[in-house]
Amino acid sequence: MYGGGNTFEGIKTDSIASEDPILLAAFEARIERGEKIEPTDWMPQLYRKQLIRMIEQHAHSEIIGALPEGTWITRAPGFKRKMSLMAKVQDEVGHAQLLYSAAETLGKPREKMIEDLINGKSKYSNIFNYPTFTWADCCFISWLVDAGAIVNQLANAKGSYGPYCRALDRICAEESFHLKYGHHCVIYLASGTAVQKQMFQEALNRWWPPMMHFFGPADKISAHTEVLMRWKVKMGTNDEMRNQFLDMYVPKIWELGFTIPDPNLKKDTETGKWNYTEPDWEEFKRVINGDGPCNKERLEVRRIAEERGKWVRDALKTSRQAYVSPLA
Amino acid sequence: MNSLDPRVERLPKVGEEGKINPKAPLDQFGTYEVFVEPKPGKPFQHEGAVHAPNLEMAYVLAKETFTRRFTCSSLYVCDTRDVFVSPMTEGEQSAYDLIDGTSIGEGKSEFEIYHLVKRGKQHIHAGSVNASDAKGAMLQAKATLNNGKLVYNIWTIQKDKIRFTSEEEKEYWITLPEKKFRDASDYKGGDKLKKFLEQKA
Repeated sequence: MYGGGNTFEGIKTDSIASEDPILLAAFEARIERGEKIEPTDWMPQLYRKQLIRMIEQHAHSEIIGALPEGTWITRAPGFKRKMSLMAKVQDEVGHAQLLYSAAETLGKPREKMIEDLINGKSKYSNIFNYPTFTWADCCFISWLVDAGAIVNQLANAKGSYGPYCRALDRICAEESFHLKYGHHCVIYLASGTAVQKQMFQEALNRWWPPMMHFFGPADKISAHTEVLMRWKVKMGTNDEMRNQFLDMYVPKIWELGFTIPDPNLKKDTETGKWNYTEPDWEEFKRVINGDGPCNKERLEVRRIAEERGKWVRDALKTSRQAYVSPLA
Repeated sequence: MNSLDPRVERLPKVGEEGKINPKAPLDQFGTYEVFVEPKPGKPFQHEGAVHAPNLEMAYVLAKETFTRRFTCSSLYVCDTRDVFVSPMTEGEQSAYDLIDGTSIGEGKSEFEIYHLVKRGKQHIHAGSVNASDAKGAMLQAKATLNNGKLVYNIWTIQKDKIRFTSEEEKEYWITLPEKKFRDASDYKGGDKLKKFLEQKA
């Protein structure tokens, strides 16, 4: 057959009870063997729905995440920092492109995803609803928000859905530059003047609570975790990911002489787990539901870009082209 | 809006805040598949897809999306609808086992053949065949490129449907290795960090 089907329909079920038990068993056995699921393979509706939700949210986070950093390109200190930040922001938008493609292989058209983002139906990472007041805020994102994203992405790259894993492999390779660049920026602030050090300390104070929110609610209140992990869509619990991030980056932050604004933050040497003050999950819910400092601005910037580009897209459309799902 | 970013403040007021008109489900650009040759002599491999109004724009977007880093010596794009796809197999079954019929020999058109040799990985260029149509190309590939190794999926693409890279265009990637600012290795903070830690101690 020639490539490019369109299979997206609203998925109404959240249950696997109505699935063919033989096909479901074969599907689960394939995942158990460590094989990847490809777009043309049979898959339960719930798997498809969960993957679309997760990959689409990831794609939106990349495209929205480019905004708080992008705003600092013109004000980045020096030509080299401007070049680096431009390259990083271009990468983030490129990552969104890769992820939208992966989600499209599951049957949801790209434009529908953009529409759901702008209408507020689909979510994106909460952390990008906070403002970047100073250059140090931008450095915090480049180093530590990207570090958090890499922790999640490296784990999920070992998941079960082929197109998502391939996109994540490429993304993780590019993210290594982001991480090193971000750390480089923060080393310069830490070893700079008293004003520079203070600027990063203030950024750290502002961003630490959203950074703790970044990995999601503790698993006891996360409805999606269990099924996503069984099908190797999500490869670690929210708490495991948060703990891994703390393990890797708290010592590096302390090494640079900064103070993390949580008096209870301490590693339990017996369990190997970090103790910390429970993040304010009411704030998390409030922001995810649209009441954050920058939710409105982020979505308006996307909506206005969409509206202003419409005439160009309309002018370029021809009857010869047709949207179809990507192949792999 | 009350933004910290003056460029956001300057955005014109268009449309209605928080609302976007729904599009017809498939009222959008076409889909194109992207294939990259990482180094001269290495086989082309499938990298992903882009959406574009035509082949030319698809080529430009593919270059920006898939060849900003690493090495690239050539790339090509084709409309997703021009990729003829075999069934996907698993276990010990080769996709060639499911290609029924007898090859009627070479035809006038040339086709590029792609194999998926490991599930979860990318499709890799396996060779070219001449045939009269895509199905005939599958049969020709079965006769000439099927070396007994497991192949889980086969793609055939008619060569004259592909937008290739010209010889002059290969210059696009000459400066790629010089763009160190996109590379983690360009951000060595070690010496500065060491000096800082020594001073702190």
